[in-house]
Amino acid sequence: MTGAVFIETFKQTWKQMVGWGIGLAALAMLVVVMVPLFDMQDMKSLLESFPPFILAMIGIGSDLEVFATNEGFVAMGFFGKSALIFAVYPVVMGMRITADEEDNGIMDVLLSLPVSRAQVLVEKFFAYCISIVGVVALIYLGVGIGASLGNVDLDVGRLTEVTFYLIPLMVFVMAATMLAAAVARRRMVALGVVTAFVVASFMLQTIGLAAEGTVAEPLGTVSFFTYYNAGNILQEGFIWPHIAGYLALSLVMLLASLYRYERRDVGL
Amino acid sequence: MAASSVIDIKGLSKIYGRGGNSLVALDKLTLQVQPGEIFGYLGPNGAGKTTTIRVLLDLIRPSSGSATIFGMDARQQSVEIHQRIGFLPGELSLWQGRSGMQVIHYVASVRGDIKRTVKQAEELAARLKLDTSKKVRDLSSGNKRKLGLVIAMMHSPDLLILDEPTNGLDPLVQQTFHELMHEFRDKGKTVFLSSHVLSEVQAICDRVGILRDGDLKAVQTVDALTNVEFRWVHVQFRGGVPADVAQGLRSLPAVSEFQAEGANARMRLQGDFDPLLRAIAAGYVEQLHVEEPTLEDIFLAYYSGEGESA
Repeated sequence: MTGAVFIETFKQTWKQMVGWGIGLAALAMLVVVMVPLFDMQDMKSLLESFPPFILAMIGIGSDLEVFATNEGFVAMGFFGKSALIFAVYPVVMGMRITADEEDNGIMDVLLSLPVSRAQVLVEKFFAYCISIVGVVALIYLGVGIGASLGNVDLDVGRLTEVTFYLIPLMVFVMAATMLAAAVARRRMVALGVVTAFVVASFMLQTIGLAAEGTVAEPLGTVSFFTYYNAGNILQEGFIWPHIAGYLALSLVMLLASLYRYERRDVGL
Repeated sequence: MAASSVIDIKGLSKIYGRGGNSLVALDKLTLQVQPGEIFGYLGPNGAGKTTTIRVLLDLIRPSSGSATIFGMDARQQSVEIHQRIGFLPGELSLWQGRSGMQVIHYVASVRGDIKRTVKQAEELAARLKLDTSKKVRDLSSGNKRKLGLVIAMMHSPDLLILDEPTNGLDPLVQQTFHELMHEFRDKGKTVFLSSHVLSEVQAICDRVGILRDGDLKAVQTVDALTNVEFRWVHVQFRGGVPADVAQGLRSLPAVSEFQAEGANARMRLQGDFDPLLRAIAAGYVEQLHVEEPTLEDIFLAYYSGEGESA
């Protein structure tokens, strides 16, 4: 029956979604309630004293003005610094689409039912997309609760954009993980490939930011993290071409996964 | 008649790997399973039984050849086929954090007709004495197997494909399993069952296929397989096996694998009894016992290559 895999996948995932969401929300809340403890102009002066590569490592480019605001502090302290953490959840979920169940033999049972491989992939993919939305919504709630508890004045609109911009980023990482699992077959190989991809992208983004104005700067453009820059989002709001890029590439990777998974042996 | 076969496999080969590291798991396998029969698929580990089943279920793709189930292509029409089959894998894995009943509901929801399917699952679970309220991770391997059987049978499929179905089941449940299989067949449905438990195959199967190194060595009815031309003969002599009798028996062309220990002699006899009776007449025979070959003997005969000419 259409939708059965989607519903069951969500039933099996909602607890992890809530757990991850609460954990990340608590972290966001902590950063927000710390805002009144800092003078933002002092913060700007402090940041100006840092060498570029240190700023790059915490996700900050050369434009420091934007970070000398309450929203900038939250963007820098949570959304910029936690980029790698945000990649972990979609990798875990991406591995669950095929790799985990293929590795432990459950896929044999599932695919012996009247359901196509494509249906399994698509329904699971969208169930985990919903769980990503759930995690991000809980993060947003954490920011809101932190602002309320710490009596922090925040530009809600801008922080909403920074928060929900995480969704296309995380969906992209999950799609990349799904593709790695569809191609590599072996769970550990897929995990290794996607971990290398995420870490390499993070390093390229860092190099790109640290080497602004040099020949190494373009290296950052090949990193998917570059297109989730909290500072830029605070200044410009949703950057639709970037969001469209994440979603278009996710769709391409979903189609490539379907193509590959439909044609290979399962569970060997 | 191939046209009416439930399973029709033609020239099916499966080769894993490429070049020098390739392994022929199935070699031009041709096999038909007829409606309403319990077909036993016998072979040791690595013979290709599970590979055959995985091709039938479209989990793996053949290197060449074809397989149809209910006249439909196993690959192109797998979803339609799966609507009508039940499957129990040899190594069963299920969702650890879900209870037996939650797993049943999930599988039923994928199949559709949830209410009727779950009701039948409850009846099967009661018959197999399975507690479906426990989480899968808390079930013993035998109880997991029972849950697997429930899932395979709860929607009243037309064909059951079972890979080593009684692994881990206690003897009482095995008996229930045999009853279920007979009832299933009596409804005109078909079972394709892989096993290395020969007594099980002997007890429930109508026909048997013997697989060796991916090659189907023989397909016979269980009766025909058992009715081969050799017997085991045990003779007990008063005061020990006389030396001249032993020598006479050893020299008989129809006797092989002769063993003598104390008063007892054991041998394999192929063909008529008369030469043997004449040879033992020189001694005082206290007891004479003739043993039919077990399926295991036949199995070994096929594996040694001897049975191929039988």
